[in-house]
Amino acid sequence: MSNLKDKYAIVGVGETEYSRNSGRTTRALGMEAIRNAMRDAGLEPGEVDGMLSYHGNDSTDSLTIAGDLGIRLNFYMDCSGGGSSTEALIGLATGAIEAGMCETVVVFRAMNGYTEARIGGTGRQVPVYTGGALYQGIYGVNSAAQMFAAAFMRHMFEHGTTSEQIANVKAVHSRHASNNPKAFYKERVTVQDVLSSRWITRPLHLLDCCVETDNGTAIIVTSAERARDLRQKPAYIMAVAGRTSKRKANYHWSYAPITLHSGQYAGPRIFANAGVTPEDIDVTGAYDAFTFTPIFQLEAYGFCEPGGGGDYVTNGTIELGGKRPNNTSGGHLCEVYTHGMNMVIENVRQLRGLVDDYCPNWAAGEHTYDYSERGCRQVRDVELTANLGWASPAIGSALIMHN
Amino acid sequence: MAEYLGVEVRIAPNDPISREFLEHAGAHRFVTQRCRDCELLQYPPGTACEHCTSSNFEWTELSGRGTIYSYQLVEHPIHPAYRERVPYPVVLVELDEQRGLPVPEYALRVMATLVDTEGKPERAAAVAIGKRVIVDFTDLGDGLGLPVFRLSDEPPEFEPWSFPLA
Repeated sequence: MSNLKDKYAIVGVGETEYSRNSGRTTRALGMEAIRNAMRDAGLEPGEVDGMLSYHGNDSTDSLTIAGDLGIRLNFYMDCSGGGSSTEALIGLATGAIEAGMCETVVVFRAMNGYTEARIGGTGRQVPVYTGGALYQGIYGVNSAAQMFAAAFMRHMFEHGTTSEQIANVKAVHSRHASNNPKAFYKERVTVQDVLSSRWITRPLHLLDCCVETDNGTAIIVTSAERARDLRQKPAYIMAVAGRTSKRKANYHWSYAPITLHSGQYAGPRIFANAGVTPEDIDVTGAYDAFTFTPIFQLEAYGFCEPGGGGDYVTNGTIELGGKRPNNTSGGHLCEVYTHGMNMVIENVRQLRGLVDDYCPNWAAGEHTYDYSERGCRQVRDVELTANLGWASPAIGSALIMHN
Repeated sequence: MAEYLGVEVRIAPNDPISREFLEHAGAHRFVTQRCRDCELLQYPPGTACEHCTSSNFEWTELSGRGTIYSYQLVEHPIHPAYRERVPYPVVLVELDEQRGLPVPEYALRVMATLVDTEGKPERAAAVAIGKRVIVDFTDLGDGLGLPVFRLSDEPPEFEPWSFPLA
């Protein structure tokens, strides 16, 4: 197994406003996010020569945005994909540079996820049952919630996991978001608020589901050698796993335990390559498309035992001030929906000690570590972060970084 | 035109597998692919045997009996066709055939709606993991049918477990 540990780093991150009314094209959103990431890194257009994006036929291609920014590319690919693409494309960026195809790659995702293409659809598509829909969609299983709910129901049956336990993930992430000026939902919610919200598909309430938003996000990858000459403290890439899958992942309930995420395969790979264990990780970014998805991933990667996720997310571990905070930005449940980008961006800022919270001098790295509402969200002494990207119970990616 | 809940069911001319599957269901036979080489079954139908890569298939009729392995109760429809049917249960049925073969983790698990004897969504309170079900069929027109499930009169496989409805 090849190992590029610490040879590459994330040197720039950027985003647009997180909203539900961008009023702009994905081209404009992608451009602004990339420009912000370049300025963050201190890179000129002539110093970026690779581009990777992912999309669900809902974005603008790399060439168009590169053209807008005056970037001449030595490498680009626009990949089909949603959740868990972020980490995978960061891995591909390191591979492209390693292969000698380019020097510095920007990974971006631009989406009007609320005003244009809503994930799972809203019934606006032409309704026809054909192809694979004849074995799933025709039964009224269309949205992400509908595709995943039975897997979590099985987790409740096998392990006794409760609605209250997953509701706590939303409550915790909302407290994190309350200290994030750019979060779409900044108001704190309680477990009871989640349980009182309307049903989407039992066992999932409305507030068990993530937000839908319009936004652009960008992450710049280059060699560690080059990174040391740039503006920011590098976030070194220790290991990546990209879209690791279970067998027959297109029908993710085919191989039991259907509650055990494909992180069971990604985990040994990334921890071996990084030379660390789950116990060493200071901050996790477990993709929270739903309140239960962090549980599936944290169990599969070994942050707790299979079945132990309900306890793990309610015993204080995942909170700011806890042993291993998860999604300190508020994640997909509260900050924004970006198909994973924002959680990696957040961990890069955590590793720099430059989380953009409400501390008056955060930009100078001065934090209060007071995690009360409209306060700090910088974790003390962060050295190691792990992002766990979710596409389904049977598909996931992961990224371990250090500073 | 074949349709389901007012929505067109369109089978591409180059997709004989789906056409044959739904034609069998139209004749009230619940079938799946059996590999003539390794003799194992798979569901749903595919282009190759997931156990041995052969494409040497034959259709084989299943008993249509199984146990509810998991489920959900959809309250918020996405597809317009289902707006009049909420709440509707979707069950993950573990079929009786070939459970735990060729590896203990594998089973023929079918995601489908659970309906009552009139074809309407089964009552939420009646759905539970462990209960036994049997296949039923909804006619789609043009000789096609759709396999669905209803509760059987068999005793549950084990003490049923259901999500609290309160």
